[in-house]
Amino acid sequence: MKLLTKYNRVNLVTTIIVMLITGFIYYQAISYILTGIKDKDLVVEEREIFDYVKLNHKLPQTFESNDQQITFTAASPGSVKREFINTEYYKQFEGRHRHPRQGEYEAGRGLISSVTVGDKYFRIQIIVSKVETEDLIQLIFTITIGVILLLLLVLFLTNRLILNRLWQPFYNIMGQLRLFSIADKHEIAQVNTNIDEFRELNTAVAEMAGRAKHDYDDLKAFTENASHELLTPIAVINSKLDTLIQTENFSDQQSKLLNDLYTAASRLTRLNQSLLLLVKIENKLMHDRQQLNLLDLVEEMTSQFEEIFSDKELKVTWDINNKEIYANRYLTEILLSNLISNAIRHNYTGGEIIIDLNNETLTIKNTGDAEPLPDEKIFTRFHKSSHSEGSGLGLTISRQICESFGFKLEYFYDQGYHVFEVIFG
Amino acid sequence: MKILIVEDEEGLRESIEEYFTEAGNICEAAATYQSALAKVNMYRYDCILLDITLPGGNGLEILKSLKDNNYPDGVLIISAKNSLDDRLEGLNIGADDYLVKPFHLSELKARVTAIIRRKSYNGSNLLVFNEITIDLQAKEVKIDNTPLKFTRKEFALLLYFIANKGKVVSKNAIAEHLWGDGIDMANNFDFIYSHIKNIRKKLMEAGCADYIQAAYGMGYKFTDK
Repeated sequence: MKLLTKYNRVNLVTTIIVMLITGFIYYQAISYILTGIKDKDLVVEEREIFDYVKLNHKLPQTFESNDQQITFTAASPGSVKREFINTEYYKQFEGRHRHPRQGEYEAGRGLISSVTVGDKYFRIQIIVSKVETEDLIQLIFTITIGVILLLLLVLFLTNRLILNRLWQPFYNIMGQLRLFSIADKHEIAQVNTNIDEFRELNTAVAEMAGRAKHDYDDLKAFTENASHELLTPIAVINSKLDTLIQTENFSDQQSKLLNDLYTAASRLTRLNQSLLLLVKIENKLMHDRQQLNLLDLVEEMTSQFEEIFSDKELKVTWDINNKEIYANRYLTEILLSNLISNAIRHNYTGGEIIIDLNNETLTIKNTGDAEPLPDEKIFTRFHKSSHSEGSGLGLTISRQICESFGFKLEYFYDQGYHVFEVIFG
Repeated sequence: MKILIVEDEEGLRESIEEYFTEAGNICEAAATYQSALAKVNMYRYDCILLDITLPGGNGLEILKSLKDNNYPDGVLIISAKNSLDDRLEGLNIGADDYLVKPFHLSELKARVTAIIRRKSYNGSNLLVFNEITIDLQAKEVKIDNTPLKFTRKEFALLLYFIANKGKVVSKNAIAEHLWGDGIDMANNFDFIYSHIKNIRKKLMEAGCADYIQAAYGMGYKFTDK
């Protein structure tokens, strides 16, 4: 849920609740006051009756005026309790109005009282119409509701318009963060805003990005330097081993030890070269590109592997077409070599390799273990299957190479085949 | 032949010197830019093995000085930097080859031999080892004028052996020479074995002596002794 939506929702609900509560209180207060005024009128009327009775010793004439009705009924002495009532007021229409009905009921306020005239006891009922009061309340209420609705509408619109604009710097920063890549040169730009919070956020994000980039560069430089520094001792080990085997007369045990040393040294060499290569690709140092015919390269590469194919009794199927790419030759060779040697290495004797090259993709499928590889993990550094002889960097390098050319490298498992697909463009 | 080794890393310099020192070869060594420049200006060599990063200066400057003086010495750059720019610059200035550290001494020897061969036999493409005659241009192997059918890899391997004759060449070095260092396959060694078996068979069937000896399971030695 968007902050704006959430904010609007909360805002709307609280506003409505508060408005309803105030409306209710308002209504109660006004009707209390107005009823009080009516009651006073009633008391005045009652007093007039009492005064009249006292003076004339008879009941006044009942008449109807000023929207008030007074009725006297005989009652047994002491039976009437003085009280105010809410009742109905029957309003008769005046004669000149042709109306189907004689009159209508309106809300009224009444006072029940009693008076003794001579020895007779009477119940007095004075009713006044409350219709004006009701009208007043209704009017006030309508205005209030109108104001509420208007307020809500204005709030809603301003929130929408202003908040959207207010949050613009935030979305701007978000967009930059989404595009942020630690490896490229692009910095987080200054967002133009006069809101302190966003300025702080912008600064914090820019600083964080800068630090991350700096640390990353340090790390890359370290990897590069470390790998470079390792080259010389490895070269010395290699040359000393080459010299050592020139001295004659080794026992079986010694030659076994020497063989193991050779293997370890060459693995170390390859590992080191792979690391250096990765750093170079990441630093975009392999920028010299040329027009390459991928068809020729694939054919050349597979002829290198010919004897390995036949040794492992691998059935290699082709469907390759002309495809020109604009790329670095050295890196392309490494990519092809990595993918094909993986397809061989993780295959079984008598298995199958299918190479498919068309205008959109280069696909290398191979049979192998009957279950899919962990999709994303295989592209991480030093991930390798338990029985792999490789450096664990092959696929990382392959993916980096593809990315540096603007290609994509995907893996999926399809009906018994492990498929690596280079998607051009 | 006369070789100058310009390399500041003592261990590596000594190994190269030892590997190249044999009957008929003179090896000299220089560890710094100044001493290398002094030697290069005073003496002529068949081949100079030149490290680029040297104490006191850049090896490429030595190469430039050589070319400015029109000295004909062959130059093989040995560098820890496997960068294409360096390689291109070196070759542009006039180096004959470029080898990246770490390398096998046998690979270095093969490269140096090739450079010297190109320099000294001026146009002749024939390489002769006892009864074996190799036409480098046509990539043909003949035993006493009988042509043999060699595959590309077998041909490369035979040349490699002849360049390193009398030396034990490790299987790792052979594998890297034949397949490049990009390809690492544990079972490459089996292919080396079958290639060597084929070479021996072809040579011996044509009446050639058996020059290839297995050396303690570590590698092979091509020798007529």
